[in-house]
Amino acid sequence: MATPRLSTNLSDEDPESTGQEVAWTAAVPLRGRATVAGTPGTGGRLLSTVLNGLKKYTTLLVLLILMALFSFVSPYFLTSRNLINIVLQNTYFIIVAVGLSFVMIGGGIDLSVGYQMSLVGVVTAMMMVVYQLPVWLAVGIGLLLGTTLGLINGLIVAQIRTFPLIVTLATSTIFQGISYLISQAKTYRNYPAEFLFIVNGRVLGLPFDVFLALVIVICAHFIYSETRFGLRLIALGGNEEAARLVGLNTRFIKISAYTLCGFLVAIATMVMLAKANTMNSSFGPGTEFVALTAAIVGGVSFVGGEGSIPALVAGVFVLAVLGNGMQLAGWGTYAQYIVRGIILLGAVVFDEYQKKTRRALR
Amino acid sequence: MSARAEYIVEMKGISKRFGGVQALKNVDLELRYGEIMGIVGDNGAGKSTLMKILAGAYVADEGKIYVDGREVHIRNPLDAARLGIGMIYQDLALFNNLDVARNIFVGREYTRGPFGILLDKKRMYRRAEELIRELRVDIGSPQFNVAMMSGGQRQMVACARAVAFQTRILIMDEPTAALGVREASRLLSLIRDLRDRGISILLITQRIPDVLAIADRVFVLKGGQRQDVMEVSKVTLDDVVTMIVKGKERGGNGDAQVEYKSFG
Repeated sequence: MATPRLSTNLSDEDPESTGQEVAWTAAVPLRGRATVAGTPGTGGRLLSTVLNGLKKYTTLLVLLILMALFSFVSPYFLTSRNLINIVLQNTYFIIVAVGLSFVMIGGGIDLSVGYQMSLVGVVTAMMMVVYQLPVWLAVGIGLLLGTTLGLINGLIVAQIRTFPLIVTLATSTIFQGISYLISQAKTYRNYPAEFLFIVNGRVLGLPFDVFLALVIVICAHFIYSETRFGLRLIALGGNEEAARLVGLNTRFIKISAYTLCGFLVAIATMVMLAKANTMNSSFGPGTEFVALTAAIVGGVSFVGGEGSIPALVAGVFVLAVLGNGMQLAGWGTYAQYIVRGIILLGAVVFDEYQKKTRRALR
Repeated sequence: MSARAEYIVEMKGISKRFGGVQALKNVDLELRYGEIMGIVGDNGAGKSTLMKILAGAYVADEGKIYVDGREVHIRNPLDAARLGIGMIYQDLALFNNLDVARNIFVGREYTRGPFGILLDKKRMYRRAEELIRELRVDIGSPQFNVAMMSGGQRQMVACARAVAFQTRILIMDEPTAALGVREASRLLSLIRDLRDRGISILLITQRIPDVLAIADRVFVLKGGQRQDVMEVSKVTLDDVVTMIVKGKERGGNGDAQVEYKSFG
C-alpha cells in the first residue's frame, strides 16, 4: 500500500511549480532567519520583537526603578538587612504565585488559593498541636489535603466547563466554612522544633524556605520550557478549541494544573505556618489577591497562554518592594491597598494594550 | 493488506444531528487513492460537518467509515491522525502564543527522557525546518511566532502540521477563502504537489473555479444530502453551480443521475 512520506522525492520539481515558487519567493523571501528584514510587515516584526523583549524585562525594569526610587525615600531601604527581610517575607507568596501560574497559563483562574491555605493550615496545625502527630505525618496530611482541594477545583472546572472564576469563588467560601468548622475559630500555636526547620534550618547556606522557593521556581521554569506537559498547558491556555482539535486531553491537563496548584499552595501553607508559628482560620485569605496581582504584573496573561517564571518572581518582588518601601516612607496600610489596586489595573491595561498592538501589526 | 481496496476512504450512511437540525442525512462518500476531490455546496450544506466527522472533531450519529476497505472507528482527532487523516480547519486552529515548530508538533511531540516527559526540541526544530523546506513554503524560521504571520503563511503552518505525520488523507476547509490571488494560486499548486506525492485530498471550497482547476472529481452536498459526484473533466462551471443550487432532483441532467446511481 502506498504510504507517501514527505521526506522523499523532492528533487524532481516540475517547472510549473518552480515558476510559482519564484513568484512566491519574490513576495516573501525564503530562509527566514537570514531575511527577516525583507519579509512583509518588517516594521511589525521588528516592533514586535522589541515589544516582546520589553515584555520579558518590563517587570524587572519596574522592580529596579522602584528600588532606586525607594532608596531615595528612605536610607534604610537599600540595607542588606531590609532586602533580606523582603525576600524572607515573600517566599510563600512566590510559591503560591508559581502554583497559580500553572492554572492561569492554562487559561483558568483559582480564586480559592487563600482559602485552601486557611483550611490546610488549620488542619496541619491541629494535627501537630492537638493530636500530637509526628511532624512528617502532619505535613504529609496537609500536603495531601491541599492537593485534594486543587483536584476538586480542577474536577469541577473540567467537568461542568463553566467559568473557573465562579467555580473557585464558590469553593473558596466552602473551604473557608470548613476551615472555621474544624478550627472552631481557635488559634493553634507552638509547633515542634522539627517543623520550624522550615524557617530556622539552612540548606547550602540558604534559609530553608528560600531554598525551597528557589527549587520550586527552577522546577516550574523547567516544566514550562522543557516538558511535554508544559507545552500542552501553554497550548491549552492559548487556544482551547485548537488544543481539542489536535487531540489534547484538555480535561486531564486542566485537572493537573489545578491539582499542581493545590499542592504548591499546601507547601506555601507550611512555610506560612512555620513563619507565623501560629495559625487560625483567618490566615491565608488575601494571599490569592497578592499572588494574582503579582502574576499579572509579572506578565502572566489572565486569559491564558502566556507568562514566564522569572518575570512572575519579579512581579512578586514589585509588590513586596512597594509594600516595604511605602511602609518605610511612612504611608499607612490603607494607602498601600489603593496603590496595589492601581498597579493591578495598570498591569491589565498594559497587557491589553500590547495585545492590541500585536493584533494591529498583523 | 493483500488486496488493495478500491477507495482509500469510504463513508457510508453518515447522519449527524445537532439538536433539532439534521446536518447530514445518510451521506455516502468515496475517495479514490491519490485524487483531489472538491466538496462543494451552499452555506449550511453540511460540508464541514461531514469532513469534521472524518477528522474526528465530531462523531457521526449513524454511518460507517472505511479506510483502505477496513472499517474504522474515529472517535477523536488522534484516532484520525493515527489513520493518516489530517485536517486543516477553516480558522486554521493555530496557537498564536506558540512558534511554528510548537504549532506543528503540539499533541504529537518528539520526546525523550523517562516516560517521554521531556521535549526533544532539537529534533522538533530540525524536522520543522525540513518540512518547511520540503513544502517549499515561506514561513521563515520554525522559531517565528505564528501570531505575526500573514494569512498565507499561517495557512502554510497549518498545512505543514497537517502533513507532518505520515498523512495520507488531507482535508482542507476553505483554504483559499482568506487569501490574496497570489497566495491562493501558490496554495493550489502546493495542493497539487501534495497530491503528486500520493496524498489523497478532500477540498472544501466555495470557489468553484478552484475546484475545476485542480480537482479530479467534485462532490456536491445540499441540505445535508449527497447530490452528485462528477468528474471534473466532464462538467462545466454551470453544471456544478446548477447542482449546488437546485440539487439532483430538478437540476441534474440524465447523465449525472446515472453516474450518481453507479456510485451509490
